[in-house]
Amino acid sequence: MMKSRELPAGEINKMIRVSSISGPSSSTAKGRDIRFAGSRFGWHKLPWKKLSLHVGLVAILMLAIPLFVAISEPGSTPVLASSDWSGVTQAVAAEAVTPAATPAATTDTAAGDAASKELIPAPQPEAKDYPNIGVSSRSVVWIVAQLHLYFGAFVLAVPIFVLLIEWIGVKTGDSRYEAMAHEFMKISATAYAITSLLGGTLAFALFLLYPDFMGYMMRVFGSQTLVYAALFFSESIVVYLYYYSWDALRYGNAKWAHLTLGLLVNVVGLTLMVMSNAWATFMMAPSGVNEVGAVTGNIWQILKGPLWNALNLHRFIANIAFGGAVVGAYAAYRFLSSKTPEEKAHYDWMGYTANFIAILSFLPLPFAGYYLMAEVYAYSQTMGITAMGGILAWLFIVQAVLIGAILLAGNYYLWSGMSRTEGSERYQGYIKYIAFVLVTSFLVWITPHTLILSPAEIRLLGGANHHILGVFGIMPAKNIAVNLMLIFTFLSFQLFRRADKVAVVSWERAGNALMVTIYAVAVFNVVFAGVYYGYFTNTLYKVGSSVMQVASTLTVIISGIILDTYLYKGARILPSHWGKVTNRSQYALFALPVAFTWLMALMGYVRSSVRTHWHVNNIMRDNSPDNFIPAIGYAGNMMTIVTILFIAMVLFVFWVSTLSEKKQLPPESSGQEVGQ
Amino acid sequence: MNLNNPVVVWLGAIAVTVLFFYGLDHIIMSMQGLPLNMNLTPAQ
Repeated sequence: MMKSRELPAGEINKMIRVSSISGPSSSTAKGRDIRFAGSRFGWHKLPWKKLSLHVGLVAILMLAIPLFVAISEPGSTPVLASSDWSGVTQAVAAEAVTPAATPAATTDTAAGDAASKELIPAPQPEAKDYPNIGVSSRSVVWIVAQLHLYFGAFVLAVPIFVLLIEWIGVKTGDSRYEAMAHEFMKISATAYAITSLLGGTLAFALFLLYPDFMGYMMRVFGSQTLVYAALFFSESIVVYLYYYSWDALRYGNAKWAHLTLGLLVNVVGLTLMVMSNAWATFMMAPSGVNEVGAVTGNIWQILKGPLWNALNLHRFIANIAFGGAVVGAYAAYRFLSSKTPEEKAHYDWMGYTANFIAILSFLPLPFAGYYLMAEVYAYSQTMGITAMGGILAWLFIVQAVLIGAILLAGNYYLWSGMSRTEGSERYQGYIKYIAFVLVTSFLVWITPHTLILSPAEIRLLGGANHHILGVFGIMPAKNIAVNLMLIFTFLSFQLFRRADKVAVVSWERAGNALMVTIYAVAVFNVVFAGVYYGYFTNTLYKVGSSVMQVASTLTVIISGIILDTYLYKGARILPSHWGKVTNRSQYALFALPVAFTWLMALMGYVRSSVRTHWHVNNIMRDNSPDNFIPAIGYAGNMMTIVTILFIAMVLFVFWVSTLSEKKQLPPESSGQEVGQ
Repeated sequence: MNLNNPVVVWLGAIAVTVLFFYGLDHIIMSMQGLPLNMNLTPAQ
């Protein structure tokens, strides 16, 4: 207790207040003990800030250098871009095992022989080589892989915004940020063990059910898999250090050490993500190997396939949106089960922040998806058409329904959340117009181009396409709809953010006029580009003008954020009543992760299915009983099963997280004793 | 210029925004080797 005199009373009160929200692991007494134990070792005397910055810099370089090398290194030639080599693969494979067929064999002496021995083609297993465990091997791997991906995405994404929230807490001195970041991290740390278990199960399942394929992947990626394992150990260490040292490294320079730990969690986590992404992209678009799968390049050439960076970007953004949605559901769960107004206020604010993260990171996600699909088309038109123009095309209608559900739920939460702010009545009149645009765009987006029709139905319809609705079935209409939905979602978001503020700057009128005209011209630009270039010019313009539309939407988002930052500098803040929000709005927070989960399963199915009957596209053929694209109905059932399993497991994680806050009361003095 | 005059403010905002978006469209399409082709004829 002697040490407590070193802290100002305000600091102690702040610590107590924060600790009381953060659960028993950081209870007041415990938190104080840890803090003072740290002081006894003289941690506070170390130059933490400088050390933190140095460690942080090294950590960033750990990720940046390999990525830079990977991106800049030339010569990563993708294998077999656009044609189907199925007919020649076997023949070439047969030749490849013969030394005379390898380039190395053209040189004389033993060196040539040694080189030729290293060029081992990919195995070509037959149906009998796949173990049969009585159930579909693909289904087993499908479920486990998808669950692992969900949890992996969640535990890698949460520390990204936890670090940001913690840093905001340090900068603003508002202890609520600290408490919220700590609580988010508690959920992530609880989910971390499940992620590891699912990863182990997935590895066992793959090695058991697809031994030849896994043997080949091990040969291709070699010691990189051990690096991955080492990084996983590192991630486990820094995640738990980050979470459990929260109270021990709370103030002053020690806080910077804690922030550095958070940075390390993210650096290692992102490295893990991009490394495992390379396995998926290698299967889709292999590089660093020759036509028969023999390794010819180095590890960077193998990692840096043509789809790697596109998938990295897409998953990075998607993970944050997904993580935000899941912790939003946690906040809603806690809000609905809260008993006191203080708890309701805390979890209402937490839900709002989670929704903010999910929606804001979701807005650029379609563009990252567009980039990924553009790269897929650039690599192989056949693959692109399989995804978006063939059997899987209908899934993009389902995708539209799910994304529409996400946007409608996100908007509904924002509209409903406005009611807690006294200044919201200024903007509530606009909601009906935003809702009209969103619903109309949603209906255009889900309009299919072609339908499976009987001859009689075609006669009734007057052709394969409806004479009016048919024009809404093609990409230009979808592009208009998507961009309008994003622009108007951002409008909801902006009105929500403005609801509790009154600008006091002299140029308020000019600023608002500029914002309104940016919206108006951007909407006109999106519609004009879609209609004129989409319907009245050639395909080249149709594709090129979609970039104009994306740029228009991004202009609205970026200019809106910048303008509001300056327009509301020193603004008068109107009272907000946190906790006074409808329960319905919390159900919208539940809808978000359900739709996200289903959506990830759906698009994972599409991404994986474009390989059709190949384990590794055009190199290693899938000869198992499951070597076909599963029917949409079957896939739909699988996705639903996986989604339900994930939601159940996440609810378990939520429950376990709250369990640590509960304490059993001591036995009553009425004679009851433990064990009786 | 009187920034308190609503007509000036709105006309100014429209002019700035239209010019910005026109420039943006022009740059984006030029980068792809496509002139804006605003004469409503089928592009070649």
